[in-house]
Amino acid sequence: MGPTELARFEELLLPHLDDAYSLARYLVRDEHDAQDVVQEAYLRALRHFGTLRGSDGRAWLLAIVGNCARTWRRGRRADAVTTEFDEELHGGEAGDAEAGLRQGEARAQLHRALDRLPAEFREALVLRELHGLSYREIAEVTGCPIGTVMSRLARGRQRLLEALGPGEREAG
Amino acid sequence: MNCRDVEARIGAYLDRELAAAEAADVAAHLQGCTACGALLDRHRALGAAVREAFPPLRAPDVLRMRVRDAVRAAAPRAGADRPAWWRPLTVAAAVVLVVAGTWRIASDRAAATVVSEEVLAAHVRSLMPGHLTDVASTDQHTVKPWFDGRVDFSPPVTDEAAAGFPLLGGRLDYVAGQTAAALVYGRRLHRINLFVWPERGGAEGSAHDERNGYFLEHWTSGGMSYWAVSDLNRAELQSFVRLLQAAGTPAPGR
Repeated sequence: MGPTELARFEELLLPHLDDAYSLARYLVRDEHDAQDVVQEAYLRALRHFGTLRGSDGRAWLLAIVGNCARTWRRGRRADAVTTEFDEELHGGEAGDAEAGLRQGEARAQLHRALDRLPAEFREALVLRELHGLSYREIAEVTGCPIGTVMSRLARGRQRLLEALGPGEREAG
Repeated sequence: MNCRDVEARIGAYLDRELAAAEAADVAAHLQGCTACGALLDRHRALGAAVREAFPPLRAPDVLRMRVRDAVRAAAPRAGADRPAWWRPLTVAAAVVLVVAGTWRIASDRAAATVVSEEVLAAHVRSLMPGHLTDVASTDQHTVKPWFDGRVDFSPPVTDEAAAGFPLLGGRLDYVAGQTAAALVYGRRLHRINLFVWPERGGAEGSAHDERNGYFLEHWTSGGMSYWAVSDLNRAELQSFVRLLQAAGTPAPGR
């Protein structure tokens, strides 16, 4: 790779480091593992830079980060680790004390529910809610049909709502 | 459209991912159905709660540096547009440098070339995931004692953060057939490895080199051999070296 190619790579992809790190962090959770996943993703992106079409490096990079996170997960499956939801990582402090208690409970419930979601559901949710990707973009990033994206989001949200307690669905 | 149809589409409706006609049908149903209206509100609240649970994160500066360094280190090997004759040319250039007498080390000149190659290799290796530091600390009083009992010499550890070269940590490394203390410093997005080991041959001198876009600065002082290596530009690397030398590791005759 020549210097102009390298400059183009850095210009197109380094600005998305925060996005890449956020995705990795929510998929693999451990900070050091997330950093390794991001670095591996950039090196992979470098090797395959020739396959990037157009100038939207963001979705392309996120797809690679997702792949690296999947590889990482496969390598860890044997460990059968149960990852605790990282309260520090997710959301801020419980706010003011009185309103905080009930709100804190609901948040903890949501966090546990997010924790139990299959990784594919969580990935779709992060890409949708944090990165603001369209269904088509999520489909490209995750390599699935749009219908699969739609169903993962719907089922993931359904599980979260169920975990958050009874709603007003009985009517209807 | 009945409640079941609406329930299945409500997330996509909020995400504005429904076709226009379908979205209009959902909207029409919501107008007359309080139960589905309540479900819509729950989905809205859920969206907000999930966004709160997944706030955008800022990558740590050390990751920024790692990624940039790793990419630069790997770039020459990536892709196929580097001609095959490049490597022999580098070797030839190195030989020319040696012959031209750039190296002023009293000991074997060829050995110095080998050492600078090893130093660069160790630098690049440290950019690989998880290899940066064994002890990550910006505190010289944490990093220096860490080497006690791990190496049989005491590397001088100073933090040059005030001058824009923050100490990032330390690491054990193996260079030129011996254990070396590696101190890691940052400069913006660049990283500098400072390798230190006792100069058992007693050779004093200094040298500088450039390899594959990296700069190397070498000096010996007080029986210790120092190598600083980085992709930082030469002028800044040299000012870093002068800082260290002023901090108590003077180099002779620079």
